[in-house]
Amino acid sequence: MQGITVVLFGAAADRAGTRTVELSAAGVSTLDDVWFGLVEAHPGLAPMQTMLAFAVNGEYAERGAPVAAGDEVAVLPPVSGG
Amino acid sequence: MIDHFAIVEKEIDIPAMLDAARRPDCGAIDLFVGTTRVDESSGSLVEYLEYEAYRPMADRKLAQVGEEIRERWDVGYVSIIHRLGRVEPAEASVAIVVAAPRRGAAFEASRYAIERIKEVVPIWKREVWSDGYVWVGSQVRTRPPG
Repeated sequence: MQGITVVLFGAAADRAGTRTVELSAAGVSTLDDVWFGLVEAHPGLAPMQTMLAFAVNGEYAERGAPVAAGDEVAVLPPVSGG
Repeated sequence: MIDHFAIVEKEIDIPAMLDAARRPDCGAIDLFVGTTRVDESSGSLVEYLEYEAYRPMADRKLAQVGEEIRERWDVGYVSIIHRLGRVEPAEASVAIVVAAPRRGAAFEASRYAIERIKEVVPIWKREVWSDGYVWVGSQVRTRPPG
C-alpha cells in the first residue's frame, strides 16, 4: 500500500532530525492524523505545534484537510524569506 | 513584456533586472533589494545567512505575489528574484523590480511584494552566527539566548 510522504523544512527539519518521513496511510484521513503520526515518530516536533503551517500536495491546508495515500504533506515553520 | 519570477542559487543580476524593466509606457522603476546585514549581539556576529525553500510551491507562491500586484495596481512590469543557499554579508537575497506609469504604484507595489513574500512564500532563513545559528521566526536556535 502506498504511504504518505512528509517533507520538513527549516526549524521543523532541524527538530525532527530529518527532512523526509514516510508514514503509513493506514488510519489516516486528515492532516491531523498525519500530525499525530509524525509527533509519535519525532517527539521533538511537539513544541512547534502552534507555530506550524501545513501544505498538502503543494497548497496550504488546514488541520482538518483530507489526506490520502500517495499525498505529499509539507511541514512549514513560519516563513522567513526576504 | 512578460513578468518574471525566479528562485535562484547564484548571485542575483540586479542590473539585468533593472534593464529588463525599462518600458516606454512607464515613468517609474522601483527597485527593492534585501541584503545580508551583519547583526551583533553578546559579542557575536552574523557570519552569513542561509535560505531554503519548498519547491515548486515557493515558485508558484512567488508568481502569485506578482498576480496580486497586477490585481491591485496599474503596473507595466514586475520581476522578483529570490536567492537560496548561502548569502554573504551585503549580498542580495532578494530583488524586486516594479515598473509603472507613475511612481506611486511602483513604490507601493514593491513594498507590497516584500511584505507578501514574508507572509506566504515558503522560504526560510537561518542566521549563522559565530556562536551558533538561529532559524528566524521559529524560536529554534543553537546560539545562547541573548
